[in-house]
Amino acid sequence: MIVAKRKPFEEIKTMLKDYKKVLTVGCGTCVAVCLVGGEKEVGILNAELSMARKIDGNPIDLGATTLERQCDMEFLDELENVVDEYEALLSMACGAGIQFLAERYPNKPVLPAVDTTFIGANRDVGWYEEKCRSCGSCVLGWTGGICPVTMCAKGLYNGPCGGTDDGNCEIHKDQPCAWFMIYERLAAQGRLDLIMEFQPITAWQNQKPRTLVQPGYEKREEAG
Amino acid sequence: MTDMKNTDMEEINIATDVLVLGGGLTGIKAASEIAGSGYKVILVEKDAELGSKKGPELIGLKEEYKGLQDLEDKIKTDSNVEILTQASLVSAAGVTGDFTARLSKGKKVIEHNVGAIVVATDFATGSLNEKYGLSPADNVLTQSRMDELLASEADKEKLANKTVAFLVGLGQEGNPLVLERVLKSTLALQEIDGCDVYIYAGDLKVASNGLERMYKESREKGAVYFKLTEKPEIIENGKTISFFDTVARRNIEISPDLIVVEEELRADQLNERIAEILKIDVGPLGFLQNDNVHFFPVRSNRDGIFVAGSTREISGLPSAWTDVENIALEVRDLLGDGKKSVAKNKAVVNEDKCVICLTCYRCCPHGAIYWGDKKAVISPVACQGCGICASECPMDAIQIGGFSDEEMIEEVKSGVASGNGTPRILAFCCQNSAFEAGEMADIFKMQLPDGLRMIKVPCAGKIDLDYILNAFVAGADGILVMACHPGNCKSEKGNTYAQWRVNDAYRMLEEVGLEKDRLCFVGTASNMGSGFSSIVVDMEKRINELGLSPLK
Repeated sequence: MIVAKRKPFEEIKTMLKDYKKVLTVGCGTCVAVCLVGGEKEVGILNAELSMARKIDGNPIDLGATTLERQCDMEFLDELENVVDEYEALLSMACGAGIQFLAERYPNKPVLPAVDTTFIGANRDVGWYEEKCRSCGSCVLGWTGGICPVTMCAKGLYNGPCGGTDDGNCEIHKDQPCAWFMIYERLAAQGRLDLIMEFQPITAWQNQKPRTLVQPGYEKREEAG
Repeated sequence: MTDMKNTDMEEINIATDVLVLGGGLTGIKAASEIAGSGYKVILVEKDAELGSKKGPELIGLKEEYKGLQDLEDKIKTDSNVEILTQASLVSAAGVTGDFTARLSKGKKVIEHNVGAIVVATDFATGSLNEKYGLSPADNVLTQSRMDELLASEADKEKLANKTVAFLVGLGQEGNPLVLERVLKSTLALQEIDGCDVYIYAGDLKVASNGLERMYKESREKGAVYFKLTEKPEIIENGKTISFFDTVARRNIEISPDLIVVEEELRADQLNERIAEILKIDVGPLGFLQNDNVHFFPVRSNRDGIFVAGSTREISGLPSAWTDVENIALEVRDLLGDGKKSVAKNKAVVNEDKCVICLTCYRCCPHGAIYWGDKKAVISPVACQGCGICASECPMDAIQIGGFSDEEMIEEVKSGVASGNGTPRILAFCCQNSAFEAGEMADIFKMQLPDGLRMIKVPCAGKIDLDYILNAFVAGADGILVMACHPGNCKSEKGNTYAQWRVNDAYRMLEEVGLEKDRLCFVGTASNMGSGFSSIVVDMEKRINELGLSPLK
């Protein structure tokens, strides 16, 4: 899932300073699951903002809604009838959702209330770990299910490098060496031969903004 | 914790078989008692044999051992008891009234649907020889070994004309059961011709049935007790024991034929694994004790899972069996005739809103939540209605009967707006403690501020961050979050969640620019009428110093 964290309150307040009527838009998918942008967080942020603005002598009128997903146009359509009532939209979705919301309502300022942080997994309530950099060329099949792009400080596809130090990375003693972990996992599975296979570096196409059409839909896209 | 407003009931069927884990002295009794109530019992034991032939620690308890053997024979022929030896629990899904337990026996995995689970492991013993600087030798015995010798007629004869020294209470903080084993062996040795017994002891812990009597009896029969403040000098691995007697003002030296070293009694190693599978709390030293005044001692933090005897604290046979009898009553109360009436709206999940983030599942202290195809599912039998889940849900998808978000926010708003009195102080009160304390203060006409409004919650865990912030938005001058004292929450962690949320709210108030002193978290108990009064009066004083809320 995509993991995000709330922006510092002061930053949100500054962004909103010139607006008197704002709609806070939550998102009921990844950011709800990572406890940052669901219905509850929308309510809490609005309560905070309305208190702060009242104390500043500059009250604000805040609306609240939470959509199924902000990364699908169909769900964004649900706002069509209410958007005009507001001067700006404050989105609690990930960067993708915020941009789609801004694209769907190009005449409205759309402001981010969260910082999109990474693709991660849920270790415990409120505790997330980055697991994937969406590099576009997955090597997990050769690396024992441990991602070197995310876990290795150098993002090496072939490792370990000379900086591996007793299971840790040369950048910090608390940073485990990804390639050490990969070695251990592959050795335990009896698949160490895989570590000798040379992996080419990632293609340039993965370093620029990407578009993805699932194979079954390519033809349909062309026809459409 | 069912609220009076929960009048919409439905009847559901529950499983009535009972799983008993542990086939020792506690488990055998549990199987026998529960089967005696008419329920089918599955008794699971890790070893090949059941209790009466197990550890030497049982052999010391001769009279009871006889009763245990009778019980064992009885359950072996009882068609209501299925005994699985060399078996263990692999997993346990579901909730009270409907657990699915998977048990492994050899390569087979057996699945059982049970309504209740009883953990009935016994204590284990450990050598303390090292504490006395002794190593195993012909003349150095553990208490268990001595028990074994005394249980065998042939070995017993060999003990004639021997001088035996016991070391107890100097290698560990004593326990009545440890002393009981020493006293029983001593009395048995005194029956043998020419046996002399010396006991080197720290504190003699006699706080258990009959120990004082046995101690006196052994003295009258000639046992010599040396009450020491530190370990005696032990020479040549126990050949000689020496200490300086401060009354006689000389060294007392004795050379016993045998030296018997006390043993430590500890929790069964299996406990932690069982607790992990059953999602119940593990206390200090691996005992599954739930130190909570609201619960009977034999109840765990999960409804339908019970802990008996040495599973929760070191228990001899009599106290373990008392636990079992209590559990049998609880089981009968829980399972009845397999039909249970439950409130429909105790905790309701909105399918459209739920995103199955698992927050509720992970937070529920009662293990009452699991998940289905499209949403979290809350068992109406296991749910205690505390509302921790509802207040943690990131989508506000869970509503508690009688305490829905809509009703609570309405109560907050009307509490701030209605009637007279300033400053306006809202007190969120747990119904198990603060709310009763507040009512007491009111009935006894103790001093209460005019502007105080009490808002009842089923547990402090239901006090949502939203409610606190919205109360300030509505113009509350001060807010009290009143929970049970630490370790006293009926839902174990409701007060902790409330405290976390208050801390979170402090951070937010600071960001917002509202004085933090307007919000206060306090622990209370239901009998604290005057305490309640002084807490709210203090709050009023504090708010008067700060002035009314700038958000009015």
